[in-house]
Amino acid sequence: MPLFLKILARNLLQGPATEPFPYQEATTPQRLRGRVELNADLCVGCGICRHVCPGGAIRIEPDAERAGYSFSIWHNTCALCASCRHFCPTGAISLSTDWHSAHRQTEKYSHAAHYYVPYLRCADCGAPLRLLPPALAARLYAHSPVDMARIIKLCPNCRQIAAASREGERYGTGGTGK
Amino acid sequence: MSETTAPAALKHFTLPIGPLHVALEEPMYFKLDLDGERVRGVDITAGHVHRGMEALASRRNFFQNVVLTERVCSLCSNSHPFTYCMAVENLAGIEIPLRGQYLRVMAEEIKRIASHLFNVAIMAHVIGYKSLFMHGMQVREIVQDIKETIFGNRMDLAAICLGGVKYDIDSNLLEYADSNLRRTAAHVQELIDIYRSDTFIGKRTRGVGVITPEDVFRLGLVGPVARSAGVPMDVRRDAPYAVYGNLEFSVITERGGDVHSRAMVRLREVAESIGIVLQILRCMPEGERNARLSAIPAGEAVARTEAPRGELFYYVRADGSDVPLRLKWRVPSYLNWEALAVMMKDCAVADVTLIVNSIDPCISCTER
Repeated sequence: MPLFLKILARNLLQGPATEPFPYQEATTPQRLRGRVELNADLCVGCGICRHVCPGGAIRIEPDAERAGYSFSIWHNTCALCASCRHFCPTGAISLSTDWHSAHRQTEKYSHAAHYYVPYLRCADCGAPLRLLPPALAARLYAHSPVDMARIIKLCPNCRQIAAASREGERYGTGGTGK
Repeated sequence: MSETTAPAALKHFTLPIGPLHVALEEPMYFKLDLDGERVRGVDITAGHVHRGMEALASRRNFFQNVVLTERVCSLCSNSHPFTYCMAVENLAGIEIPLRGQYLRVMAEEIKRIASHLFNVAIMAHVIGYKSLFMHGMQVREIVQDIKETIFGNRMDLAAICLGGVKYDIDSNLLEYADSNLRRTAAHVQELIDIYRSDTFIGKRTRGVGVITPEDVFRLGLVGPVARSAGVPMDVRRDAPYAVYGNLEFSVITERGGDVHSRAMVRLREVAESIGIVLQILRCMPEGERNARLSAIPAGEAVARTEAPRGELFYYVRADGSDVPLRLKWRVPSYLNWEALAVMMKDCAVADVTLIVNSIDPCISCTER
């Protein structure tokens, strides 16, 4: 008992250990795993985030005109496990420090973040194409003599054709047209 | 009405405790056969928090199951994905880089510190020592802050993933963790002295809920419950996994086998775990954290670890697809709650919740 009286006296002198929230902002560490956010400029639509998401909180769908795809994050289904952030190859997904998730009952089914990522058109044939984020492309083509600026604007088909004609010129076997 | 004048019909009766009760951490239902104030028989009914998680696991892919297993229980929320990932990695033959292993063990030990402190604080609450309960929880709060600062959440660390870990620490966080763990260690030493010498705690908890080493072997008890009866059983020492083989720590045992010994084992283990994390902060190598993942072949594998409550065991069977055919786990509380009937034999009604708390039962784990 005497041992604890010492602690009791110390704790009394120190005053409250709790934070006076909501009268003052609560301390939020920089790494707090809050609401999930997408940087649409970096998203390539590979869908690994959707694959690893345990709750099925991520939905990726091309639109009717195939002009782009929508990317939705349903906050009420999200478990804040950060698997999407961990496995995202381009670093497009981040977790903010925003832990304020209270919302009205009426907003229960709309509590989500929606993003839209437009497709580009292939520079040769016009097929829909998702542009590689420049940082990722620079990594992929770091040791390649090929001019990536043009290559990344082509769809996989046209890229094959371009590669074949490049090789043809190099070995003198004749190009395949383009 | 005193016992001598009570009619016979009132001397023998059945008292229900739970499933919701102030002193139980989680729902559990006891039917006690009473003879006056004494407990003569115990009947335990389980199943209040069954969520069908093993069935859910065979409907989700291997990645999703990491998070599903993390949600089995909040207090051992790192042990479950850790052991699950070990089982899957055993199956696929994936070797985790050294830094990843150290980071895994660090998360595991920080969770153990918080889990044990929570249990001993609740013990003070059950015996009515509210100010000590508050102080114990405040000490644990330092560890909660460490978890929130390093991992981003107070309970679910999201530290483990297939092939390694999802987090890393830099020099700032390393320093932060070091200074705060040292602060915790000083408080824990104070708590150890109080729990050891305080007469109130001693009178209320010594000689209550006793088990012998024979009971430990007969019932297959594990974790702090086994160690409190003097049986030095610890998976970290008996079958070292991850990097426990490289770390210095002792297996804590007490001899009493009673509620008090179990609290002392946990408190002293907190000090050991702080020592383990401080070693990790000192000697963790630089380098890769994650292994390259490979396809998970058909077959079966197991893994076991020492969770805060004792040995945790995972079994996984796969057919070559990315969804397990079967995922099964056996948790320490499943073994330990068999001991409740032995511990409660002839105890006073007032000691029932104290004894239940002393095995630190995790009902969410057991019933999942």
